[in-house]
Amino acid sequence: MLELFLHFALLSLLAVGGISTVMPEMHRVVVETEGWVSGAEFTQLFALSQAAPGPNVLIVSLIGWKVAGITGALVALAGFCLPAAALAWSVGGLWERFRDAPWRALVQRALLPVTIGLVCAGGYVLATPEGLGWRNALIACASAGALHATRLNPLWILAAGGVAGWLLFT
Amino acid sequence: MNPAPPSPGPPRPPAGLADLFLGFLSIGARAFGGVLPWAHRVLVEERRWLAPEDFSEVLALCQFLPGPNIANMSVVLGRRWFGFPGAVIGFLGLMALPFFWVLALAMLYADWSAQPSVRAVIAGVGIAGGGLIIGTALKLGRPLARKPAAAAIVAACFIAVGLLRVPLLIVLPVAVLLALAAARRGLA
Repeated sequence: MLELFLHFALLSLLAVGGISTVMPEMHRVVVETEGWVSGAEFTQLFALSQAAPGPNVLIVSLIGWKVAGITGALVALAGFCLPAAALAWSVGGLWERFRDAPWRALVQRALLPVTIGLVCAGGYVLATPEGLGWRNALIACASAGALHATRLNPLWILAAGGVAGWLLFT
Repeated sequence: MNPAPPSPGPPRPPAGLADLFLGFLSIGARAFGGVLPWAHRVLVEERRWLAPEDFSEVLALCQFLPGPNIANMSVVLGRRWFGFPGAVIGFLGLMALPFFWVLALAMLYADWSAQPSVRAVIAGVGIAGGGLIIGTALKLGRPLARKPAAAAIVAACFIAVGLLRVPLLIVLPVAVLLALAAARRGLA
């Protein structure tokens, strides 16, 4: 159990930019080194964590659940979230303190385009689980356009995506 | 369902810890296909706790911190508004429902995963979720439309990470240095 916590705590601090960054490393530790789940199970758990509402980080709790039930799920999630949360806590405090510093405005202006580029990349990676094809492109562009151009509740857009998936992929 | 109500006036922080908890609970509860679009909708459009620029700014900070971005956001914003209790409550609000839902789904899925139509629907929802994230990026990027250098950085980051899958540990430092140089010259 301690091992579960420590492995995920280490991964947490490597995950600069979000969980997708450490997916390859997590696969290496969880499947190859520790053998907690098989490779096929890992892929399935990843798909589930994407399909369920909530942060994709919950794949960590699914792995913990496979290893040691509900306690494992909690321990793994705590391991993955606590170190990062502690860091966010302290850096967030500093960031507020320098609210009016001129360098902060500069850093902020610089970070904005980088952030947006990375968000786009994250969306693209999620929208092309098996490479780019016209079906993925159609569903993803339609959803992005609908969100951007209308005030439609995103749940409707996701439901439409589900229907489109059913029509296009079966 | 209802469109986000266009409530007037400047953004105001949550009224109390209960309000904060419910706000983050409503992000986690509905966050199909990624949390970011829902975080933007709840924090900026529905509850108006943050101005759009403020949201982008906090998101940028949280992306550069390791760990799950929106979970970091709940900690940073919770601290800003209510100190330590706020950070804990925001984080728990965000995680509470999804934690149980993903476990419930994992148990259900074991019975249903053989159905091709179930897989097709799940795939469609996942792709649409990716599209929503891109749509959110378009919203966040509106202020950059007239800044060619900034738009070039957006495109370069997208190509490097999204298409070429270059590791973030390489892309981030390079992109940040370039962006800082552009920002100093007033280009971004």
